[in-house]
Amino acid sequence: MTPNAKTADEIIRIEHLSKVFRTRDRTVTAVDDVSFSVRRGEIFGLLGPNGAGKSTLIRILTTLLTPSSGEARVDAYDVAREPEQVRAIIGVCPQNSTLDLDLSAWDNLEFYGNLVDYPEAELGDRIRTLLASVDLADRAHSKVGTFSGGMRRKLEIVRAFIHRPLIIFLDEPTIGLDPEARREVWEQIARLNAEETTVILTTHYMDEAEKLCNRIAFIDGGRLIALDSMENLKGLIPSGDLIEIGFDRITDDAIARIKADPRVGVVELRGKTLAVQATDGGKLVPSILQLFEEADLPVTALSIRSPSLEDIFIYLTGKGFGGGEEKAAGTVRGGARA
Amino acid sequence: MIRGAIAIFRRDFKKFRSNPFVIIMTLFMPIMYLVIFGNAVGGTIAGVPIGVAQEAPYVNETPLFTASVDMLTHLAQPGKADTFKVTVFSSEATAKEALADGKVMAVAIFPSPISNTHAVRLYVDSSDYTTPTLIQAGISGVLQQLGSRTPLQVTKLYGDVDYIQFFGVGVIVMAIFMSTMMGGGLALIRDRELGIIEGYLVTPVKRASIILGIIGSGTVKALLAGTIIFGVDLLVTGVVIRNPEDYLLVMAVLFIISVGITSLVVALSSRYTNQQTYASSIAFLNLILFMTSGAFYPTLGMPDWLRWITVINPESYAVHALRALILRGQGVGAISGDLLAIGLFSGAAILLGITTFRRTLE
Repeated sequence: MTPNAKTADEIIRIEHLSKVFRTRDRTVTAVDDVSFSVRRGEIFGLLGPNGAGKSTLIRILTTLLTPSSGEARVDAYDVAREPEQVRAIIGVCPQNSTLDLDLSAWDNLEFYGNLVDYPEAELGDRIRTLLASVDLADRAHSKVGTFSGGMRRKLEIVRAFIHRPLIIFLDEPTIGLDPEARREVWEQIARLNAEETTVILTTHYMDEAEKLCNRIAFIDGGRLIALDSMENLKGLIPSGDLIEIGFDRITDDAIARIKADPRVGVVELRGKTLAVQATDGGKLVPSILQLFEEADLPVTALSIRSPSLEDIFIYLTGKGFGGGEEKAAGTVRGGARA
Repeated sequence: MIRGAIAIFRRDFKKFRSNPFVIIMTLFMPIMYLVIFGNAVGGTIAGVPIGVAQEAPYVNETPLFTASVDMLTHLAQPGKADTFKVTVFSSEATAKEALADGKVMAVAIFPSPISNTHAVRLYVDSSDYTTPTLIQAGISGVLQQLGSRTPLQVTKLYGDVDYIQFFGVGVIVMAIFMSTMMGGGLALIRDRELGIIEGYLVTPVKRASIILGIIGSGTVKALLAGTIIFGVDLLVTGVVIRNPEDYLLVMAVLFIISVGITSLVVALSSRYTNQQTYASSIAFLNLILFMTSGAFYPTLGMPDWLRWITVINPESYAVHALRALILRGQGVGAISGDLLAIGLFSGAAILLGITTFRRTLE
């Protein structure tokens, strides 16, 4: 297949992809008829609870598994039929570290440089650049076993990036890291992306996806639940933003007038706080404040909270991210488009 | 305090019970030691190949020669197989040739009727353990029983070979087996457990390169272990190898066996996911191969059911070849059979290693 105009800006294209694992006594459909595409140069988030099928999907895209049915193309190559070409253009940073703890940072990178066939004459310079980019230049010759979790992660990410892959797969890149280390890893990911590398990120940290990803795909029970940008995903929740107004006193009239606004949904009185669910909350707040002022009711506190990815996920699947047992609706809603 | 102790006790016991293979193996090992070690060492040596010939000038067979051959042929310990397998050679020269080639372990030359010395000359392959003494005792016993006054002149072909020299050769081979099986195999299983091998698979590196690299590094490590122990063995036991060609042949044998064992270990460790299970299987395999290799007791002393293991045991061919080179200074001619055997073993092991390991990469 020759890359046509449509595939030119799509670096990954997945169509009706399924993966079924069969053991003697049970059959597990880890990926169930999933179709979507990833755009060149974006940071693409794959979200879902543990066991949702994220890792299986990544393993198919990185040629470690062959799909049971359907097709997945990475750049111009089919993952099942042209795995070697795919491997040459991807970098993978698996969830469990595969760094060799007995080797130095330099040796780990050199080893991978040789595996990915990086030009030998330039490998030394490349390693120096990469180590400097993650502030590990002074630890180049220490054993990785002496590194902190954050240092290891950063090293592992640059290792996956050694041959300047078109796509880099990061499976749970910040799991188990402290906030400071997470922030550094995020910065590193953003830097890689700035070098025109497409980043595929799996995570079950909502804040991570919100902060980094251009578009987010929700996976649950092996199915694609939703796929869109953060903004559009937020739009999926009818209740929209939550505005909380603290007060000393309030009148029924004021509440009625707030409720009269067509953008306002549920209004709830919680002690000395009024909780207002509304779409487009940011624009609604000034008019509410004005209303309070006109009625001579002083506002003691004000907060506006956009729905988090977690809220969206709960809304879409009817269950929390902890992974309840009840089965999700399993339909692709709203903005999901292949 | 007691509650904590009980908790730890119960945890250990649960883990112990959940791996029946290891339990069986740990019980099996001492039993195997009993059965194999007990049978492999100190058994009655039987069927020792010896040659007899009568000295030139040949006139006719002397009564002493005929009677001795007959007695030697039927000599046996009560209830055991014949001690000697006697071959009658037509001349002293052909008999000695067979001895030099290792086809027989001793040659007894009986005096010609017109001899001046009137002595039975015994040439014995002294590189083996126990058998030289046994042969000597057998022949002097026969002469005594026949009431002959003919003296026995003993020539030890390879000088006095101490047990440590006999045993040292086996240790070289053991070094290769042990280091590869314990070190290499366990490291490979650990790498697979940690996902390091899987990490290779998402890079453009060829599957064949992975296999070649793993077998290559294992072989060099095994060869290094073998060479070091070979050097130590020469120093400790004081064996001197005069022919430089023999050094090269020793290295060739060590190399072939190293590739073979490494490949075998790659194949085995590809089938195991549990380090403990692998370790106990390997310990067992190591025991049975070493015991039946003839490394520390002549295989002639083993019961038949154990001896068939020596026939398919590559370690026994390696030990035999190294003994021929190191203790007897024999050339390539004496070890061609051994080279063929370990070559076949290594070839088969490489194929097995590649196919089995490949399967783990799918």
